[in-house]
Parts: sequence; C-alpha cells; structure tokens
Amino acid sequence: MATTTLVARRPGGRLKWRNTLLGWSFILPNFIGFAVLTLVPVIALFYIAFTNWNAFGTARLVGLDNFTRLLADHSFRIALWNTVYYTAFHIPLTLGLSLALALLLNRKMRGVAFFRTAAFFPYVTSIVAIAVVWNMLFSPQFGPINQFLTSIGISHPPGWTTSSTWAMPAVIIVGTWREMGYYMLLFLAGLQTIPSELYEAARVDGASPWQRFLNVTVPCLRPTTFFVTVMLTIGSFKVFDLILVMTNGGPGQSTLVLSQYIYTKGFVENKLGYASAVSIVLFLICISITVVQFIVNKRRAD
Amino acid sequence: MKRLIVTGLGIAAAISLTVTGCGSSGGTAGSDTKSAGPVTVSLAAWSLATTPEFKTLADAFHQANPNITVKLKEYDAANYDTQMVADLAAHSAPDMYVQKTLKNFFTYQDGGQLMDVSDVAKKLGKGINGVKSYSVDGATFAIPYRQDSWYLYYNKDLFDAAKVAYPDGTWTWDDYAKNAGLLKAGLKAAGSPAQATYQHGWQSVVQGFANAQSPKADILKGDFGYMKPYYARAVAMQTAGDQPTYGTVTTNSLTYQAQFGKQKAAMMPMGSWYVATLIAQEATKDADTFKWGFAPIPQFDSSTTKTPVTFADPTGIGINPAIDKSKVAAAKAFLAFIGSEGASTKLTGIGITPAYASDAVTKSYFGFKGVPGDDLSRSAFATHDTKPENPVSKDTAAIQNILNDMHSSIMSGSKSVDAGVAEAEARVKSEVLNK
Repeated sequence: MATTTLVARRPGGRLKWRNTLLGWSFILPNFIGFAVLTLVPVIALFYIAFTNWNAFGTARLVGLDNFTRLLADHSFRIALWNTVYYTAFHIPLTLGLSLALALLLNRKMRGVAFFRTAAFFPYVTSIVAIAVVWNMLFSPQFGPINQFLTSIGISHPPGWTTSSTWAMPAVIIVGTWREMGYYMLLFLAGLQTIPSELYEAARVDGASPWQRFLNVTVPCLRPTTFFVTVMLTIGSFKVFDLILVMTNGGPGQSTLVLSQYIYTKGFVENKLGYASAVSIVLFLICISITVVQFIVNKRRAD
Repeated sequence: MKRLIVTGLGIAAAISLTVTGCGSSGGTAGSDTKSAGPVTVSLAAWSLATTPEFKTLADAFHQANPNITVKLKEYDAANYDTQMVADLAAHSAPDMYVQKTLKNFFTYQDGGQLMDVSDVAKKLGKGINGVKSYSVDGATFAIPYRQDSWYLYYNKDLFDAAKVAYPDGTWTWDDYAKNAGLLKAGLKAAGSPAQATYQHGWQSVVQGFANAQSPKADILKGDFGYMKPYYARAVAMQTAGDQPTYGTVTTNSLTYQAQFGKQKAAMMPMGSWYVATLIAQEATKDADTFKWGFAPIPQFDSSTTKTPVTFADPTGIGINPAIDKSKVAAAKAFLAFIGSEGASTKLTGIGITPAYASDAVTKSYFGFKGVPGDDLSRSAFATHDTKPENPVSKDTAAIQNILNDMHSSIMSGSKSVDAGVAEAEARVKSEVLNK
C-alpha cells in the first residue's frame, strides 16, 4: 500500500520539480540581473545607512546618527514636502486625464490609431528634449505660453520655472503630459476586457451614459485602476529625471524632491551613508502607501 | 616556490634601482627614468576629441622621455568625478587622474586617494601658480598644469558702433555697470539688437568675484553679507535690461559661446578657456568674425587695479596611490614635466593658459594665431592675482551647493538679495557648520 502511493506520487512530484526548475530557468536571466544590480544594493543600503561611508576607505558604524540628523534637517523636510506636493497633484491629474483619453480613444472613429500614437508619443520622447522644449514654452518673457496668457488679458502671467511659486506647477504639468499616454494605454487595455453585454444590459435598463460609466466602466476597470494608482504613486514619489533636467531643484529649493536630495548628498557631496538613510525613508514611504492601497483594494474586492 | 622568490627579489631589485636612480639624478623631467625599461602609465581624462590638452601633454612628454608612454583613459566629462570616485573605490582607476574641479579635491585627498607629491612640487620652477590649492598640512597632492582666470571679454566693433570707449583696465564693477548703461543706449541708437553685456547662469559669475575681491571674504565661515553688493548690482542690471535675465538664460538654455560669439552681447565676464574656444569657433563659423579683446576683470575698488584680483581654480594632476610601485618614478616625472615651462609653451600652442607663468610663456601665448595682441589683453594675461574659487575643506562641496540654491533664488527674483543671503547663512549654519 505504502509503496504504491509512493510510486504513484513520484511522477507527479518529479513533474512538479521539473516545472519549477523550468520556471526558474525562464526567469533566471532576468533574476540574475535584478539580484546583482538591484537586490544586493538594496540590502547593502540597509547597512550603509547606519554608517558614515564616503565612498573611500572603511565605513564606520554610527548607529542612528544619520536618522537623528535627518529629523533636524530643514532641507530634507523641504524635499519631503515638495515630493508630497508633486505626488498629491500628479496622481489625480494623470489618473483622470489618462482615463478620459482612454474613453475618448476607445470609440470607433477615423484616425483613432493616429491619436493613440500621438498621446503615447511624449512617453517615448527623450526627457532632455522634453525639458528643453517645455522650458522654452514656459520662458517668462519670450515663451508662447505667457504670450498667449498676456494676449487674453492676464497682465502678470506666472514666471513658471523661474518662479519659486510656479516652478512646481510647471513641473507637474509637464510630468502629467508626459505620462498620461502610457497610463492611457493601460486603461485602453482594461476597457477592451469589459464585456459589451454589460453595456447592452445597462442600456436596456435605461441607464444614461453617465450611469453606465459609473456602474459598468468604473467597477470593471477596478483592477486596472488599482495597478495604475500603485504605479503612479511609486513613480511620483521617486520623480527625478524630469526635475533634474527641467529645474535642477530650483529656483532655490522650490522643486527639490527626495530623489534629487539623495543624489546630491550621495553623488555630489559623497555622503553615501546619509544619502542611504534618506533612501530608506523614501523606501518606507513608498512601501507603506502601497500596502495601504493593497488593503483598500482587497476590501473593495470582497 | 624557489622561482617565485627569485622573481620577487628581481622585481624588488628593479624597484629599488629605479627609486635610487630617481633620487640620485636630481629629478629633472627627462633624465631620471632612463635606467628603467619602457613604462606605460595611464592618465584619466575626459572628452579627448574636444579637449586636446591631455594628448598634447602626453605626446610632448613622450617625446622628451621616449621610454615612458602616457596612455589616456577617457571618461564622460559631465560625470567625471562620479565615475572617478567609483573607479577609485573599486581599485580600477588609472595611475594618474586629473583634478577636474577643485571642489572635489578634498574628497580625494581626505579619502586617501592621492599620493603625496611634495618632492615633485619642491623642484618646480618659480613661475608655477596654483600649487597652494593642492596643499594640505604642508604636503602637496597634485601638480597644476593650467591656471585659468576670469577676464572681461569685449566686442570692439559693438563698442565702436555704440560710441563707447573700450575698457581701460581701471574699471571697478560700478564702472562696468555704468558703461553697460552707456552701451545699451548707444547700441539702441545705432540700431543694433545686441545687448550691453551677458552674465551666464553660473553661480561663479557673481560669487567667484565676490569671494576673490571682497575684503575678508571666506565662504567657509558661513557669513555671506559681502556678496550683497555684487548681487544687488547683477539684479539691477538685468532689471534695467543691460543683460538677459536669469530666467531667459535658464529657460532658453542660452550658451555663452553663442551670446558673445554671435555678437549678441558687447561684453561678457568669462574664464580664459574661452579664448581658445572663440578662436576655434571663428574658424568653423560657429562664431562671427569680429574685433575683440579681453580686459582685466572689473575690481571691487580702485585700490587693486594695478594687479587686478580675479579668480579661477587651477587644474592639476595627481597620482593614484594604488599605482604599481615600478611606475611611481615615471608618474612623478610626468607631473614634474606638466608643471614646467617646457610643457607650458606646448599648452599655449593650443590656446590654453598654463599654470607656469613667465615671459616666454606670455610670448608663446600671444604667438597663437587669433589671440588679440593689444596691450590691454597682454596685461590682462600677464598681470593678475588669481585666487582659487574653492577653498580646500570638507565643507566646500556642501556650502557651494547651498550657495548655488541662493544664486538661483536671488537671480530668478524668487527672493530678495537680503532674504536669499539670510536663508543661505541659516542653512550653512544648520546643515554644515553645526551638524
């Protein structure tokens, strides 16, 4: 009896093993890259953050010194606040606009492929080119945007990237414009999966377009919306390249964000220990918000 | 095992021979390494295609010392220091590397990444400048080969059109501002679209002069009140329309080469490296052909016009302490060479301002085709007191970053001069000095 079960189990077990190994071998090339270039540095980060490492020599353990310094660091607080500011506007704006674009371009109409491509284009354009062109558009004295604003009767148009009040809105506008095409694509994919019978049934019940949107589209898109929100949140918190090339954190510190602060401390001032401590804070923020989002999503699903 | 010991002894003997050979011959560039066989030492540099100075030095040195070859390793100009720090930490950096900015010298020196080359420094000739910037506690860690300094470039054609007299070498900054006003009016009357002057977006263009010229200026003390008159003047000039505003400079990515080279501005404070660039661009038509010259930079007051005070950091080369022992003598010979008059006259041949100053160097510099030969340009080149922009300290990089934020907030008009300076002082106190 015992032997028969063993014999009976073995082939299945072997198959399971084979499948597992096969699976591993498929993800291995990617995983090696991830482990060497991302995982190991991330683990090292948690050690370096408690040292005073400056790239050379040995790293001396300094305990919680870096973190106590963080608490009193005014520039860190500015960077954190600016990051939250960017995120708070960038997420809803991008979410709303990309969904609107997706709905608009999900219909059968002439040239839809062209418009979809056009909306996606900013996402694949070089960030440096984007920054240079938008900076010119935003130019306070000679830029087309302010010339337009003056022509419609606004006598004191904003200084955009040269003003500490308007630099952040300018960056948010460009960030939203750049990324909405990508998220539009995700929403389009989500919209395709909604069965048309649901819309038909809703129409038969006499639902208006707005009611159909609220009661069919939104609930059916929930998995997509969740994914987009998580990706947007993480992306907004670690915004870096756009700010670096557009304003370099300025004027003053008005657009300094956490990733740039980490970069400056780590690679410009060579305070890698301190920069690692800031990275950990950024990491904790990202992961805790993502966990909250997962919990909320699960509750809604139930 | 036996063979290993024998080889080891052989290598040790070779090293000691080289070292003693170096010691006894007294260390002129050519003679001290003749006893050794062919040696190749590597040197880190950047943008080799557009920066010919490294190849010029390497070739000239090889010509004088056929046994030693200096092999250049190219780095990315924009990320040079980041890559160098990474390579040094990974023990894969070349034998010698250029100190691209003085701001980062402390990081290398304090991190134990530079060999003590005081013996080379002691034997350098009298005309050498900039060695002091590489000295820490009496020891020297790099040898300078170029020492730029900032001049006031001016377009003689535009001055003539505006009927304004050329700079005469006695200007203070107030004279400069006054003449900018005259130029603006004159150019307008002459129907020229050019602006009176151009101030590039860098913090150095204001702060470098304030630091070098103001009495008792010291950025490390964290007290920046002495910068206020310099900023007040710069802000007033851009408000008056004498120069493009900071916002225009940054949002339109203006380049100083085009602003002066394409005759969009009649004056421009800029470093001496621009002389060679402008001459090269005239040849390639990237710049217009026009009459120009360079004058001593305007002064804080008239007391220093005899020997004008200006600024710029030297550029030097240091030795990686991880260098193979057998190559140290060759590397030191190269450093002795780059700080010599012989190397300097080679550098002037490509329009570079060398660290070694002498009559021969001046003569050779003005022999370079296209360099303006008028008396004022000559005296601007030969006579000046050039102070380093960056003091050597652990705090320099952090303080300069804070001052850069101050620069953008004041020049963009986001903060008043007083508020900007006060904020920077508070930040330096809390983030750098009292941490």
